[in-house]
Formats: sequence, C-alpha cells, structure tokens
Amino acid sequence: MPLDAGDAGDVQVTGPRSRGERLLDVRDLRVEFRTRDGVARAVNGVSWAVDAGETLAVLGESGSGKSVTAQAVMGILDVPPGRITGGEVLFKGRDLLRMKEDERRRIRGAEMAMIFQDALSSLNPVVPVGDQLGEMFVVHRGMSRKDARARAVELMDRVRIPAARQRVGDYPHQFSGGMRQRIMIAMALALEPALIIADEPTTALDVTVQAQVMDLLAELRREYRMGLVLITHDLGVVADVADRIAVMYAGRIVESAPVHDLYRAPAHPYTRGLLDSIPRLDRKGHALHAIKGLPPNLMDIPPGCAFHPRCPAARDVCRTDVPPPHPVDEHRGSACHFWRECLHD
Amino acid sequence: MPELEPEGEIVAPGLTALPLDQAPPGAPAPVAGTTGRPRSLWSDAWRDLRRNPVFLASSLIILFLLFISLWPSAITWESPLKCDLAHAQEGSGPGHPFGYDGQGCDVYTRTVYGARTSVTVGVLATLGVAVLGSVLGGLAGFFGGAGDAVLSRITDVFFAIPVVLGGLVLLSVVTGDTVWPVIGFMVLLGWPQISRIARGSVITAKQHDYVQAARALGASSSRILLRHIAPNAVAPVIVVATIALGTYIALEATLSYLGVGLKPPTVSWGIDISAASPYVRNAPHALLWPSGALALTVLAFIMLGDAIRDALDPKLR
Amino acid sequence: MTEPILQVSGLYKHYPLTRGVLFKKRVGSVKAVDGVDFALGKGETLGIVGESGCGKSTVAKLLVSLERPTRGRIRYKGEDITRLSGRALKAVRRNIQMVFQDPYTSLNPRMTVGDIVGEPYEIHPEAAPKGDRRRRVRELLDVVGLNPEHINRYPHQFSGGQRQRIGIARGLALRPEVIVADEPVSALDVSVQAQVVNLLDRLQREFELSYLFIAHDLSIVRHISDRVGVMYLGRIVEIGSDEQIYGRPTHPYTQALLSAVPVPDPEAREGRERIILTGDVPSPTDVPSGCRFRTRCWKARERCAQEVPVLAVPEPLRDLGGAAAHASACHFAGVDHGNDRP
Repeated sequence: MPLDAGDAGDVQVTGPRSRGERLLDVRDLRVEFRTRDGVARAVNGVSWAVDAGETLAVLGESGSGKSVTAQAVMGILDVPPGRITGGEVLFKGRDLLRMKEDERRRIRGAEMAMIFQDALSSLNPVVPVGDQLGEMFVVHRGMSRKDARARAVELMDRVRIPAARQRVGDYPHQFSGGMRQRIMIAMALALEPALIIADEPTTALDVTVQAQVMDLLAELRREYRMGLVLITHDLGVVADVADRIAVMYAGRIVESAPVHDLYRAPAHPYTRGLLDSIPRLDRKGHALHAIKGLPPNLMDIPPGCAFHPRCPAARDVCRTDVPPPHPVDEHRGSACHFWRECLHD
Repeated sequence: MPELEPEGEIVAPGLTALPLDQAPPGAPAPVAGTTGRPRSLWSDAWRDLRRNPVFLASSLIILFLLFISLWPSAITWESPLKCDLAHAQEGSGPGHPFGYDGQGCDVYTRTVYGARTSVTVGVLATLGVAVLGSVLGGLAGFFGGAGDAVLSRITDVFFAIPVVLGGLVLLSVVTGDTVWPVIGFMVLLGWPQISRIARGSVITAKQHDYVQAARALGASSSRILLRHIAPNAVAPVIVVATIALGTYIALEATLSYLGVGLKPPTVSWGIDISAASPYVRNAPHALLWPSGALALTVLAFIMLGDAIRDALDPKLR
Repeated sequence: MTEPILQVSGLYKHYPLTRGVLFKKRVGSVKAVDGVDFALGKGETLGIVGESGCGKSTVAKLLVSLERPTRGRIRYKGEDITRLSGRALKAVRRNIQMVFQDPYTSLNPRMTVGDIVGEPYEIHPEAAPKGDRRRRVRELLDVVGLNPEHINRYPHQFSGGQRQRIGIARGLALRPEVIVADEPVSALDVSVQAQVVNLLDRLQREFELSYLFIAHDLSIVRHISDRVGVMYLGRIVEIGSDEQIYGRPTHPYTQALLSAVPVPDPEAREGRERIILTGDVPSPTDVPSGCRFRTRCWKARERCAQEVPVLAVPEPLRDLGGAAAHASACHFAGVDHGNDRP
C-alpha cells in the first residue's frame, strides 16, 4: 500500500470521455479565512480540471470548501478575510492567480461566467432585467444601448422566458424564482463563455422548476460545447447531469471519478456514507445508514485523514497520516488509505 | 483490477449501531470555547467592546463625567455661584485655571458643576424616552391592528415638529427654574424615535420561529413578550438611546442658550455659553471651556452608541 | 386504519389582501389552504408533499392552532379544536406539538438549552412538578441523543443537526400524541439529515407518536411515511399509501413531480422518462377555475376549466383495486400518464 504522504495534494483525474481541450486546471489550490477566533482552512490543496463540453460536479456538504473553491477560481473571493495561500488556476493554460486584475476582469464574464444560488440577490433590484442583460454587451462588446436591448430579448428567448419582448423592461422582483434563475443563466451565457461555474443553481427552486432549469443548462452546454462546473450537495442532481464527480470534504477532494463508477462502487468511505444515508425515491429502505458525528470545524481539522473521527473503517494510520491521492484506475482516485477495502466491500 | 461488487456494503458495526452518536472529539464545529461557559450575544459583545479603543475612550470620559456630576466638590474648591465682578473676563490665574466669565464667576468651577445638569437632563430624558417609546412601540408592533396604525400616524406627526421651534413655543410658557419642564419636553418629542425602532425590532423578533414555537406550546402573550421578544428586540433600542442621550445634552444646551431651557441660578453649559457669547472677543476662554465640555460629552455618548452598535451586530464579526 | 386521532374536513384558510392603512379595504384574498380533508391514524405517519406556496406549511400552522381556519373543522379524537380558546385550547396543545424547519430561528438565542426544553413545563405547570423538571429535561436531551451535561449551553454552541434535536426534545416534553413536523430536515446537511430522520423514526416507536410530516423532498417523505398526500395550490390532489402514490400515481401533477425528482443513480438517467412541466405555479390569489392544475397540465380539456374535480377514487380505476385505486382529484386520472402528451 503506497503510504507516501509526501504530497498531500489531491486526487486529480482526467475524464475518460473528455475529448475537448482542457479549459480549466485547478492545481493544489489553498484558501484560508482569518477570523477573530483563528484561521479557518477552507480549501487545503484542491485539484481538478474540466474540459470543453464536459460537466464536472463538485459535491460537498456545507463547509466542505466547494463554494470557496469556485469563488477563488472566479476571482470573487472576499479578500480579506479570505486569502489564497497557494496553488494555480490555469485557464486555457494561463494562471489566473498571477494575472493583473483588469486582465482577469476581461476573462470574467466573457470567457468564464458564474451562476449563483440566489438569483434575486444577484440581480440589481432597481434595474430592468433587459438592461442588466444588455449591460454585458455594452461593457464587453461596446454595443449601443439599442442593439444591446435587442440581444437581451434574444437571450431571454434563448432561455425560454415566455413573452420576452414584453418582459424585457420588467424588474427582477416581477419574475418567479425559476424565471429569475433563467435570467441569471442568460446573463452567464450572454458572451458565450467557454466555461460556466454554477454554484447550487437549483437549490432554491422547487422540484418541477429545478428539472426545467437543469434541463436548460444541460441543453445549452451541449449546444455551445461549454465546460460546466456544477457545485452542489445534491447526489440526485449530480447523477442526472454530471460526467465526472469530485467529492469534497473538509477542504480536500476525497474522491474523484467518472459518475457511473462512483455511484456503482465508491472508493472512499465518505462517499459511500453519503450514498447510503440518502433515502431513495425508487426504493423504500429501512433505517438510513447515517454518517455519525458532524463535519469538522475548519479551524480545527482533525490530524491525519480529516474524515477519520466519523469513519467506520478508520485505523491507527488514519489518525496520523494524511492519505495521499491514490490512483484507483486511470480515471479515478481516492484519498483513503484503505480505498481497496472500501471499493470491494 | 479486481471486480467490483456494486451492491457491496461496508461491514462496520460503527456505521449502523451508532446513528445517534455524539460528535466525536475534535469534530464539533460550533462548540467553541469548550469551557462550557455560556456565551451569549451580550457576552460576545462585551468581549468585543473590551478590546475596542473607541469604547474604552468614550466610557472613560463618561465615567469621569458621572463622577463629577455626583461629587463636583471633589475636584473643585469653590461654589459655582460665588462671583466677583472685579474679576470679570479675567484670564487664567492661580487657583482659577480656566479664568473668569463676564460676571466674574470661576469658569472651571462652573464647567464642572454644569456637567451635573447636563448629565441629569440627558439621563432622565433618555430614560423617559426609552421607557415610553419602547412600551408604546413594542406593544404596537406586537399586537398590530388599529392601535398600531393610529400610533404610527401619531409618530409621523411628532416627527414633523421641528424640535427647536417646538421648544421655543412650548417652553416659553413655563416658569420656574427646575429641570423638569425641559426633560418633559424632550420626552414628549423624543419618544416617537424610540417607538419606531422598538416597533420595528419587535416585528422582526415576532416573526422568528421560536415565538411561534412558544405560542404553539400555549404561552401567554405576556410571556412571549417578556421572555422571547423583549430580550431579542432590546439591542437596537439601547444603541439608539445611547446616541440620543448625547443629542439631548446638546438640545438642553441649545434651549438654554436660546433662553427657554434652564434658567439661572441653575448652572448649565448652555446658560454659560449663552452668557459668554457677547464677550467672545474679550474673553474667548469663557465660551471655549463649556463648549468644549459639551462637545466632548456629546461626542463620547455618540461614540459609545456606535461602539455598542458594532458590538451587537453579529454580521460584523 | 384505526380510529383517526386527527380528522381534518373542509379546511380553508384565506388571508385577506387589504389596501389602505387606517381604513382597510379588502381587495382579494390569498387562498393558502382551499379545501383540505384528511385523517391521521394513531401511530401513523402521513406525509404531505408539495412545492413552495402550495399551503402545506399553513396546514401545519392550522393543526397546531397557530392560525385559525377561515372555515372547516379539525377534530382531535372527535372534538373540534378550531373553536377552542383559553384553557381548553391549552389542554389540546399539550397533545399536538410542532417541530420547525429552521433550527437556527426556532430556538431563542437568549435562552439556555435547559430553559428551552423546560419551557413547556413552565407553561403547563401541571405536566411536571417543579422539582422534577430539571431531571426530565436531562432525560429528554438524552432521549434525542444529546449530552445532558450541555443543559446550560446556548443554541449557537450547537450545530444545525444538534439544534434540530433540541427542537425535537422541546416538542416531546409534554408527551404529545401528535407531532407536526414542518420540513424538519430540509435545512440540514445530507449526512446529518439521515441522523434526524432515524431519530424521528425511533421516537415514533418509543412514544407511539403520530406524525404529520411536511416536506418538499419526496424521497424523505417516502422513507418516513405510511401514507402520502400531494398538495397543489391549497388542495390535496392525490392521497394514498406510499406504494399507491409512488408506485401507481394517477394524478398528472404527482406524476410530473415524481418524474422531476433527480434519482441518485446515473444508470437511471438514460432510460428515465421525465415530464417537464411548463410554466410556474399560479398565484394563490388568482386560482384557475375548475381544476387548479389545468394551466400546466398536458391532459387538460374543456371539462377541466369548468368542473372542479373531487378528491375520490376515480371511477375507471375503482374496479381495478390494488395500488391504482386511491383518491385522486383528476377528471382524467390514470396510471398511464397518457400518450397525447407533447
């Protein structure tokens, strides 16, 4: 068993089906937050990559660092209290973290865009949605107001907002939650970026509306051959749309695998615990297999494997040694000392 | 690559046997301190305040102010009413560090004694405003309905009254030399401000689920108000009242300056500022010291209010 | 089903929409609950599912008397509790308790855990003698899986899951027979949800509780419920055993809702047939005529705009028996969701 913990960086795997060019390559990213009570280590060496035309799901519970990773990648992290302490974020081969701010700003929106969970607070309440959409074209493309408005109507049509021409002058609060999320998607799509990062895009929506929005996202991704990074906590949504999954726990990627492999046979006890703990619509279970305990405090991450206090398979080595990324096969990896046992159990 | 067993299960007793397990050591996220010493909004706020230089400076000033209002003779050696026209407008000299005013009274002694009036007016007016305003506003916010609508309109009316003009009109008809008419006037015009704040914060607190939970248990309205709403709604009232205290002291000085507030022989900064202004060219010190004391006092209360507001706002942590 | 412990019939809750400040003029009403009937048996769990704004939370508030219904009856062991007040209402409240959704706002931040869980005894002093209360609170904390030593801590010193346990302990203090749980786990992390669901399961057996379990998460409702009611725009559109609702749904809305739930199994995604509904839920101030689902329904015909479908076992399915024969408020109810769908 390879126990070389020299590089505690994370599992990084390329998808088997990825045919597109490498869009984004996050390498050993580290982020911390300085608070009154101490330093919270939110992201501790995260690596993942996404190719054109591919959907990568970053799965994690609250506090796992999944959203912070996205913010650091987009360059919208609140600094301070946040601080990027290491790593690289290569977008089409260029490190975003070493770019000048105005250069980064040109990439943001035009080449990579972000969709947030809460569309209402992400839209300006006193500006008509058409103007907010058009703004993208005015700022980045230097269009006239009139042309920009026409493009806004086109975009609203594109994300299937009914009666787009009549509603282009409406304000965000006049739209329903699902429609607002469509407007957010339209905004992200406006400049036809190569990559979209969606942070819990459907969590605030009802099931039927969630299905509409996820469908739209998947369709647009196919059409524009975009890379999509989907940040979520919902194992169901992931199974529906993702090509690959990176599971995060306590600021690290504990398992990374093509979606089918991961659901069929998880190679990390945390992933397995998550899959066993959710009730299934398609089969009625008995008692749920809850993962005991709580996610760790980011100011006081347990030594060794961060999951060991909650892990049913933990042994002595887990309390002392940080598990390095073990390649499970050429497409997947697991940061568990005993990934073999987990895989075959 | 060995074969995978899709339906495999982890054979581990811990997973199923302990679904209700407590958080393992080292893991519990929010249990900070671990001393078991209860932490509340107030104790957190106090921890913040103790380290805030603005709070420390302002409370030192206020403590000193309270001290000299209670025992002005501790740092003075004369009566504030002992005046000698022979010394009128004289500058500072031995035993008279601030010099004399136009009537030949000792500016230092009068400035120290003036603190008592200012503090009395400020504290009593604030207490009256806070009690009246939070009771009326709190009840209106809690019960809502027609009473709330009427009260809201009344507060609108009071907000429309210019304070100084109202003081000139109302206070010019009262006679006597006590502080009570001035305090009464401030309470009359000040309560709507607190009432509005209290109403808002009660309405916010009322919407919390814990209030619903208490109601679902069958708790009475008075229990809900006193035990669940008041403790959670009082913070903004305290902040606004602290800041208001400073403004009431300034208002007392303004009214006294205009001649409708306090009247001699009461010793007050406003009266002294008013009396000194005609000779400002000859004896600027007689104006400077009481005005300085007034400005410093008002500033101290406003700074204190600001510091408390910051400390009580969990979002700033 | 045994003698129902709760019987709800013809329940309505309309909130008036008014304009004007002092002299209020009624300009319409929000029909939050618009004719709901169901029964809850002893020891049973009835799940209520529906999307936001369907009125499920209002039903919860009506059941625990936080709101008074506009019309209709809620009978607890045969007695109508909607007209009760004062002492009689307080007595009934002992038996019907609520667990809230948000573990962060449902506990008073200025009270210790001991005070929160012990408050029911202060409100109902007859439930426990004064000297015994502290001991009972410790016992309750132990029952819900919390350390009794933490009795003097404040809510913010606990995690979301632990706080939800505190809320459950408070709900149990008076030994109620019915617990109304409004989205009790939706604010919790996935890995913690299962702990709380298992706790609720265990408590039900231990204390012979009847649950009304309200949630938008269909998987969790299926896991915990014996019977399930599906709400849409203030009404129950379909109700039946969990097998009937999940296995043989006959109302188009239920079918669409179920097909929209993402299943955590990537193998299923290719073969699955999904019904993607168009549009949004209409406003409860302006409910469509006839069947309220018709504006989004692919089966809708003229009849649906004119006739309100009643919640009953549909005629064509009555003879089939088995899972298909359960109440469904649709003129064209059927297990097959139709080929005329776009």
